[in-house]
Amino acid sequence: MYRSDFCMAGVFRDAYLFRDYHRMKAFFLLVCLLALFLYLIRHFNLISTYPPSFFGTPSAADLCGGFIFGIGMVLGGGCLLSTLYKLGSGHTVSAITFCGVLFGGFVSAAFYPMFRSFAASTVLLGDKTALEHIVGSAGVPVLVTSVLAASLALRWARKGGWSQPAYARGYLPLWKASFIMAFVIALVVAFSGRPLAVGMGYAKLSGIVGGLFLPSLTGKLEFFHTEAPRLLYGRIMDGGAGPAFDSVALTQFSLMAGVVGGSFISSFKLGEFRITRMPPGRQAFSAFLGGMLMAAGALMAGGCNLWHLIGGVPLFALQSMVFALGIAGGSFLGAVFIRRAVIR
Amino acid sequence: MRQAAEDIVLDIRGQICPACLMITLRELNSNKEKLKNEKARLVVKTDHRDATRTIPSAAFAMGYRVSVLQRDKYYEIAMEYEK
Repeated sequence: MYRSDFCMAGVFRDAYLFRDYHRMKAFFLLVCLLALFLYLIRHFNLISTYPPSFFGTPSAADLCGGFIFGIGMVLGGGCLLSTLYKLGSGHTVSAITFCGVLFGGFVSAAFYPMFRSFAASTVLLGDKTALEHIVGSAGVPVLVTSVLAASLALRWARKGGWSQPAYARGYLPLWKASFIMAFVIALVVAFSGRPLAVGMGYAKLSGIVGGLFLPSLTGKLEFFHTEAPRLLYGRIMDGGAGPAFDSVALTQFSLMAGVVGGSFISSFKLGEFRITRMPPGRQAFSAFLGGMLMAAGALMAGGCNLWHLIGGVPLFALQSMVFALGIAGGSFLGAVFIRRAVIR
Repeated sequence: MRQAAEDIVLDIRGQICPACLMITLRELNSNKEKLKNEKARLVVKTDHRDATRTIPSAAFAMGYRVSVLQRDKYYEIAMEYEK
């Protein structure tokens, strides 16, 4: 991710601001490859339950959560994952976004009961959780997606749309990053039985930090006591936002640390690592606010962009598809804000 | 090619993404006359890797010749108008 600067905030933002579709194409390729790989994993019974029980019924909360998240990731200068690899390479502005996510996670936790009842009261499609419940087949969406992706990929290749020169040392073209990420993520899903996520990891971290400074308030927030059984690597383990060492700590903390550590090593080896200077005040405020909004959006929608966009969307989970619609709209508004009010 | 007389230096290290491209495009437009008369070149200092993809591509499409150098932990992107 660091070498290609594969930032999901840039997927929509660059298209809206500059009509630059390179990241969007790479993201589309990633999602289509994952849809195919995950279907094959399912075919070989490596995902034990299907449609996956960890995606619920779509609701207006997913749409609103995606919308808020979309605004936040553009204002924050990166999504929850890209904030980590930028942080690992020494970007101060990403450290500010990171702090905003932790602070936002703590504040949003107070609204968790409200978010939960909003989601429960605005269910959109009855008990349907995946596209196959509507079209009646799991294979058809994968087939349609694969044919569409292959024809578009060939068309873009003929027009030279995959290659845009970059001059940074060790640059990895976006389309190559898509292939590598699709392969790695599919392997993780095959072994763990769950898509990747970092949203709950951030929330857990904000609870831990909150517990150090405001222990009595943190103890009163219901969200930081939510632990639920999860199927992971064939075993049932508890996981949630509480301070316990559970499946969330095991998987999401290790992923977060891995992304920060990997980009630190990569940037150091490329001679690029350094703690950057403070951004201008408006940008620092935007980064912090963006982080807060991402935390609120992820909590409202029951997951971050990683969980929904490259976890649920390739599995055709309706909740994630609704989140994706929200994030596309929110990113547009975020792009308007950043152009008019932040970067002057 | 004739060497431009003046360097307009734009140091945008440490700024939020996508400030690099937005500020560079604004500077290219506001200094258009100087740049097109080959009286100056725009030199951008950035620590965003992606700027080495987006800025050269945009500047090239606007008729500029672009060179990118890695300096001490940042990149320097120079743009000169090409007649």
